[in-house]
Amino acid sequence: MTDTLEDFRQRLSDYLTEASGTPATITQAAPLAGGASRDMWLIETNVGGEALKLVLRRDLPTTMLDDALSREQEFRLMQAAYDAGIRVARPRWLCMDISILGAPFFLMDYVDGIGIGRKVVQMPELAEARAALPAQMAAQLAKIHQLDYAAHDLNFLFAPADGLTPVQEVIAQAHAVLEALNVKHPAFEFALRWAEQNAPPSERTTLIHGDFRIGNLLVNAQGLAAVADWEFAHIGDPLEELGYCCMRDWRFGMGHLRLGGIGDREPFLHAYEQFAGVRVDRKAVDYWEFLGNVRWGIICLAQANRHLSGRDPSVELASLGRRSAEMQYEMLRLIEQMGI
Amino acid sequence: MYDRPSLTELLDAVRVHLEHQVVPAVKPDPRLYFHTLVAINLLKIAERELQYRDAHLQTAWQRLNDLEANEKALPSDAQEALDTLALRSDRLCQDIRAGVYDAEARRRALFKHLLLSTREQLEVASPRFLQTVQQEETGN
Repeated sequence: MTDTLEDFRQRLSDYLTEASGTPATITQAAPLAGGASRDMWLIETNVGGEALKLVLRRDLPTTMLDDALSREQEFRLMQAAYDAGIRVARPRWLCMDISILGAPFFLMDYVDGIGIGRKVVQMPELAEARAALPAQMAAQLAKIHQLDYAAHDLNFLFAPADGLTPVQEVIAQAHAVLEALNVKHPAFEFALRWAEQNAPPSERTTLIHGDFRIGNLLVNAQGLAAVADWEFAHIGDPLEELGYCCMRDWRFGMGHLRLGGIGDREPFLHAYEQFAGVRVDRKAVDYWEFLGNVRWGIICLAQANRHLSGRDPSVELASLGRRSAEMQYEMLRLIEQMGI
Repeated sequence: MYDRPSLTELLDAVRVHLEHQVVPAVKPDPRLYFHTLVAINLLKIAERELQYRDAHLQTAWQRLNDLEANEKALPSDAQEALDTLALRSDRLCQDIRAGVYDAEARRRALFKHLLLSTREQLEVASPRFLQTVQQEETGN
């Protein structure tokens, strides 16, 4: 699906000329480093005399997970988030015509910032940003969780099956993945049973970003510039998200700082309570952090299976199979802390 | 049976080659560089697995015996031992699902087995992670 760069630029400038209704030229097009599931380009363009710096995000034939949003869905969700005043790159154009670039894609404004979690956690020049981030993250999460998803046309978002609570939905999915992989795993089996028997009640069901962690934020010297990577957004318990961004795997060597290696958890939760106007049950957040580890540990096995099945040969995917033990250890430690 | 290098020495030779010759050469290509580092790490895991596997097989087997209160002997054939351990593990999953370990004392015994099994996995897969978490725990 990748033609020559010259072709790519020509097709894109033709598309932009038509989509914008004014002459458009591409002055620069370069691939951006991303994860295994992304195809992203930095595009510098001139549209009707206005210089625009854009990011192009294109569907790949293999997506990371089957329940990830398509580019069209992601674009529409980002549009709703942008309209709601959430810090997100401004979405510009969505193209569903696969004859242009081989797959659907969209263009959004480029946001200057660092999107690599390890750097955000460790770079000395980002110390001020790290101090500001916990409250900024809390503010954005409160807004995301308040977004009236029913008022927008977002009914493609995955929601718990009828009759299932958000917790039960996550547990059912985890069992389904293990079954599909034909994996019998005593540690996960026990963790899922413990999860069933110790589930806190869900008080709210809201839009959640689904992958809200330091590495999916764009961070500049002032802190949070934009929330990126919306492809795992779904409807669920907002506390899932508060637990998720505290998981150890996103702490990058700063294990004692539970909030993504940048801060303690309590000031973050306190700020969230202020912005969202709700009280947060700390024990329920502990629980969701635990369940997040169960889920991520199982996804690691599924990712390794993409390699093992021959579908997607990759040394990186293979390595995730053995990384799963880190999440297993963490989930057991959290059970021990909460009470076996 | 086989001439040297031994299996361990073969893996070691490949890893040292990657570290000293390939890594510097692929540094300009970030993706290839990253994947080469991942490949080196996988070789290290394989080397540690060879080093620890027999010991872990013995301890895992013994823990299952303790948990199930029986004294099954570990098969002497290595492959048979691994296969049988996998079967016992499947059986354990069924028992967990059936509620056999729901009562507190049994649940705690099971938990201990799982925690030790996971530690052993990490000794092979990620000893640095294990060490970091344990240091953090004792520091608290």
